[in-house]
Amino acid sequence: MSRINKNVILALLTLTSSAFLLFQLYYYKHYISAKNGAGVSKSKGNRIGFDSTQWRAVKKFVMLTSSQNVPVFLIDPLILELINKDFEQVKNISHGSTSECKFFCVPRDFTAFALRYHLWKNEEGWFRTAENMGFQCLKVESKDPRLDGIDSLSGTEIPLHYICRLANHAIHLVVFHERSGNYLWHGHLRLKGRVDRKFVPFRKLQFGRYPGAFDRPELQQITVDGLEVLIPKDPVHFLEEIPHSRFIECRYKEARAFFQQYLDDNTVEAMAFRKSAKELLQLAARTLKKLGVRFWLSSGTCLGWYRQCNIIPYSKDVDLGIFIQDYKSDIISAFQDVGLPLKHKFGKVEDSLELSFQGKDDVKLDIFFFYEETDHMWNGGTQAKTGKKFKYLFPKFTLCWTEFVDMKIHVPCETIDYIEANYGKTWKIPVKTWDWKRSPPNVRPNGVWPISEWDEVIQLY
Amino acid sequence: MDDWKPSSLIKPFGARKKRSWYLTWKYKLTNQRALRRFCQTGAVLFLLVTVIVNIKLILDTRRAISEANGDSEPEQDYDEALGRLEPSRRRGSGPRRVLDVEVYSSRSKVYVAVDGTTVLEDEAREQGRGIHVIVLNQATGHVMAKRVFDTYSPHEDEAMVLFLNMVAPGRVLICTVKDEGSFHLKDTAKALLRSLGSQAGPALGWRDTWAFVGRKGGPVLGEKHSKSPALSSWGDPVLLKTDVPLSSAEEAECHWADTELNRRRRRFCSKVEGYGSVCSCKDPTPIEFSPDPLPDNKVLNVPVAVIAGNRPNYLYRMLRSLLSAQGVSPQMITVFIDGYYEEPMDVVALFGLRGIQHTPISIKNARVSQHYKASLTATFNLFPEARFAVVLEEDLDIAVDFFSFLSQSIHLLEEDDSLYCISAWNDQGYEHTAEDPALLYRVETMPGLGWVLRKSLYKEELEPKWPTPEKLWDWDMWMRMPEQRRGRECIIPDVSRSYHFGIIGLNMNGYFHEAYFKKHKFNTVPGVQLRNVDSLKKEAYEAEIHRLLSEAEVLDHSKNPCEDSFLPDTEGHTYVAFIRMEKDDDFITWTQLAKCLHIWDLDVRGNHRGLWRLFRKKNHFLVVGVPASPYSVKKPPSIIPIFLEPPPKEEGAPGAAEQT
Repeated sequence: MSRINKNVILALLTLTSSAFLLFQLYYYKHYISAKNGAGVSKSKGNRIGFDSTQWRAVKKFVMLTSSQNVPVFLIDPLILELINKDFEQVKNISHGSTSECKFFCVPRDFTAFALRYHLWKNEEGWFRTAENMGFQCLKVESKDPRLDGIDSLSGTEIPLHYICRLANHAIHLVVFHERSGNYLWHGHLRLKGRVDRKFVPFRKLQFGRYPGAFDRPELQQITVDGLEVLIPKDPVHFLEEIPHSRFIECRYKEARAFFQQYLDDNTVEAMAFRKSAKELLQLAARTLKKLGVRFWLSSGTCLGWYRQCNIIPYSKDVDLGIFIQDYKSDIISAFQDVGLPLKHKFGKVEDSLELSFQGKDDVKLDIFFFYEETDHMWNGGTQAKTGKKFKYLFPKFTLCWTEFVDMKIHVPCETIDYIEANYGKTWKIPVKTWDWKRSPPNVRPNGVWPISEWDEVIQLY
Repeated sequence: MDDWKPSSLIKPFGARKKRSWYLTWKYKLTNQRALRRFCQTGAVLFLLVTVIVNIKLILDTRRAISEANGDSEPEQDYDEALGRLEPSRRRGSGPRRVLDVEVYSSRSKVYVAVDGTTVLEDEAREQGRGIHVIVLNQATGHVMAKRVFDTYSPHEDEAMVLFLNMVAPGRVLICTVKDEGSFHLKDTAKALLRSLGSQAGPALGWRDTWAFVGRKGGPVLGEKHSKSPALSSWGDPVLLKTDVPLSSAEEAECHWADTELNRRRRRFCSKVEGYGSVCSCKDPTPIEFSPDPLPDNKVLNVPVAVIAGNRPNYLYRMLRSLLSAQGVSPQMITVFIDGYYEEPMDVVALFGLRGIQHTPISIKNARVSQHYKASLTATFNLFPEARFAVVLEEDLDIAVDFFSFLSQSIHLLEEDDSLYCISAWNDQGYEHTAEDPALLYRVETMPGLGWVLRKSLYKEELEPKWPTPEKLWDWDMWMRMPEQRRGRECIIPDVSRSYHFGIIGLNMNGYFHEAYFKKHKFNTVPGVQLRNVDSLKKEAYEAEIHRLLSEAEVLDHSKNPCEDSFLPDTEGHTYVAFIRMEKDDDFITWTQLAKCLHIWDLDVRGNHRGLWRLFRKKNHFLVVGVPASPYSVKKPPSIIPIFLEPPPKEEGAPGAAEQT
C-alpha cells in the first residue's frame, strides 16, 4: 500500500512538474515576443496579431527608411501576392483603422524590399542608424557590371544586397541599379569567404540567387497593416516578372580577347551596318513588346552577343526566335505598320514557320518560330526553289535577360549549348561563308512540302 | 457491457485487450522493483530538465534585457572591432620596431631603400635634379609623400619650405641630393633645414652630395655629406645607412572626435602627407562642405565626370572647389583616374566620392584620349538616364556659381540643335578682356575646361568614331575638327566659371601657364543671374549681334589697334573695329591683334562667323573680319579694314602647345 502511495506521489510530482514546465515555456515564448515590440501592442489592446516579430521588424525598417528619406519599396512576392488578392480592400482602408494584422504578420523568414541605388543619399549613415536600432546587417558588394564593358576600368564596389536581421526575422533589401536600356538590375548574392553562412537561411531568399532584371516599376503608396509602404503600381506585372527575371551579363572579357585575336572591323561600312542593325533590332523589340510577344536573339545575332558583345558586321541580318505558342496573327501587320514589310513567309503555324521582314539599308529581320518536343526544340527552314524542308534541332532552353545594344533583351540561358548546337564547337572562329542548309551541325533534312501547299508555305514578296 | 452492440465486434475485443494490458502493467509495476526504480529515475530526470529550462530562461531573459536597454551598444562593439583591427594590421607589418634605411646621393643617381625595399630610385639623365624628399609614417614606415625640388632653379626652395612646413611633427624625413641642389637654396630654406637639426644642409654647397634622415621636430637619425672639391666636379657619392626606431601608432595619430568624416580623415592622414591643414590635429580644415542648394536646380541629376591623372594635390584642390560650388550633388560625381595610382584614389576617398581607375593602354596624348573615351562611356553607363554629362579636369578651380550657370543655360542644349557644347571657359576671357558675368556668347571653337556634353552627341557621333589608340591624337583637337563639330557652336560665359591652375601637365610648363592662363578672369560672385539666355539660340543670337553692331560706335581706324588709346577712356560703350580677313580661314590680322592684346593667339578661339567679342577698358569691343564675315555689311564704306603684318618667321610663338 505504501508502495502504491509512493507511486502516486511520484506521479503527482511529475504532473506538477510538467505543468510547471509548460507554464514556463508559455511564459518564455510570450516574454520573447513581448520584448521586441517595445510596448506598441499594449497601447492598442484590441488589435490582433500585431505582436509578431515579422511585423515588428518591418515596422522598424519602414520607420528607419522613412526617417532617412530612403525610398524603399516592397517587392516581397508572398506579401505582394496577398496584397494583390485583397487589393481593393487594402486601398480603401485608411491609415490606422486596421484591426487585424493580415499581411506582415504572416509567418516567413524574410521580407524583401528594394531600392533604386541612385536615390540613396546617405548609405553609410543609414547603415549605422540601422545597427543602432538593433538590426544586424550584412552587406553584399561586388564590382560594377556597368564598367565591365569598358576596357580596363576598375572602380569602387557597389552594394548589391543588404540583409538586416532583427530577432528572428530578416529584411532583405535588394539594391537596384539603373542600366542602359531603361531597366533595373540587381546582382547575384554571393557570400564571400568570411561571412557567417548561418546568419539567415540564405536558401530561402526570394531574390539574389541569380542577378535579375526588371522593368522600372512605377510606385504607389499604400497602408498595409498600419504601415505606409511603397509598392509597385502594377503588382501583377511585377509578380509575373520575378520568376523570369534571371539576367546574364555579356562576357566582356572573352569578347575583348576575341577582338585581340581577330581585330574589330571599324570600317565605315561595318559601322553603318551595325548602326542600322541596331536600329532594326530596337524597332523590332519595341514592336514585339507592344504585342506582348516574347522573343530572343537567335542564330548570328545571338552568336554576336555571346562572342563579341556586339553585332557581327558581316552577318547582314538580324535573327530573332519566338516560341510558336506565342505566335500572334497580327505580328505581320504590326511590323508592316512600323515600316517593315514582309519579305517572305515560309511554312505555316503548324509546321516550320519562318517570317522575314525587309528593314532599312538592306538589313533583313528574320524571325524563326520554335517548336517544342519532349526532349528538344526545333525550328524549320524551307528552300524556296525546291520546297525542301529543314529542321534545326536545339537542346531545350529557357530564357534569360541580358543587355545588348542598350536594350534589355532575351537570350537562351543555356547560351553555350544553344550556340554549339547551331555553330558547333568552333563557334569562336569567325566564318564569313555560311550555308544555312549545310553548315549548321544541327540541320536535318525534313522532307519536301507537297506541291499543293506551296502557295501557302512559300510566300515571297 | 449491456450496451454493446453485436454489430461492432472489434471494439469489445480491443477494450478487453487494453484492460488486460493495463493489469499486466500494474502488476508488473507493483511487483517489479526495477521498473519502479526506472520510473523514479525518469521523474527525477524530468525535474532536472525543468531546472535546466529554468536556467536557460533566466539567461535568455538577461540577454534580452541587456539588448533592449543598450541600443547604442552595437555601435560600441563596431568601434571596438575597428580599434582591434588597426593595431593588429600594424603589428602585421613586422615584429621589428626598427626600420633600416639606406639613402644614396650622387651626381647621377639617388636611391632610398626602407627595410630593403627601394622606395626611390632615380638615375635618369637630365631629370630629377635637386633635393629629393621622402616622408615616412613614423609608426608604419609607409611612404607618405615623395617630392623632388629642383633647388638649382629659382623658387623651388620656396615650394620645399612650404612642403616641409606642412609635414606633421614626428614624421620621418629623408632628403637626398641628385646632381645639384644648392644654387637657388636660399636662407629661409637653409634655416628650415637647420631647424630640422641638419648640420650639412644649411651649408650645402655647389655640387655637394648630401643624404639626411631625421624626425620632424625630433632627433636627427643620420646624415652624410661630401663637399665638391672644385666648381667643375661633384662631391663623392655618399651612402647613408641608419636605423629608424618606429614609434607607437597612438603617437602618430591625432585625436579627432570619432565621426564618419574623421574616420575618412584618419585613413587619409595615416597614408599621405603634404595636404596642409586637412591633417592638422588641432584645427583640421573641413572635408565636408555644405554649399547652399540651388533653387530649381536643372543640373542636380547631371553626372559629373572628373578626369584625373596622377596629380593628387591638384585633384585635392579641384575637388575642394567643386564640392564648395552651390548646387553640387556629390553622389553624381565620379573621378576617373588614369592609371593605378593610389594617392589620387586616397584623395577621392577622403571626400567620400566615387573613384574609378583606368589601366593605361597607350602612350601620351593617345592615352589621355583613350582615358577620356573610357571615362565618358563609363559615365553614361553609370547614369543611363542622364541626357548630359559635365566633364571636368583635375587642374581646374570651379566657380561658386558653376552649377548655377549650367542650370540656367542647359535647356539651350536641348532646344537648339546647332549647339555643340556649353563650356565654362572663355578662351579670351582675361582680366583685361572680360567684364560681365551675366553675359554669354556663342563661339565656333570648343574651349573644353569644364563643359557639358550631350549624351546623344557622344553616343551617336563621337563614341563610334573616337580616335583609336594608334592615332596619337589629342581628344580636344579631334573634337574641334570640322568633321566632328559640323558647324555647331558652343555657349560660353564672358567671365569664365572655371580656372585652369595646372602648371605641370602633358602640354604645360611654367612659362606657358604664366603667359596664357594665369591672368584669366574667374567669377567669384555667387548666384549670378544670366542675362537673356534665350537670345543665345541660333536665330535670336543673329538678331542680337545685328542690334549690337547697329548701335556700336566705329573706332578710329587710323590709330594703332595695339595702342591703349585705340579705345576711348569711356565705360559701358560698345565699339566695333573692322580687320582684314579675306577668307573664312584667314586669321593673319586677328592673330597679330590677339598677340598685342595679350590674349590667346596660339590658334583661333572665340570667333563667331568672323566676329570676336571682348571687353576693353570696361567697354564692349567687337572685332569684325572683313570681308569674310557676314557682318561686314555693317562696315561703313569709308572705313578701311585694319591689316597687321605678321612678324618675320624665324622667331615664332613658343611651340605649338595646346591646352588640355
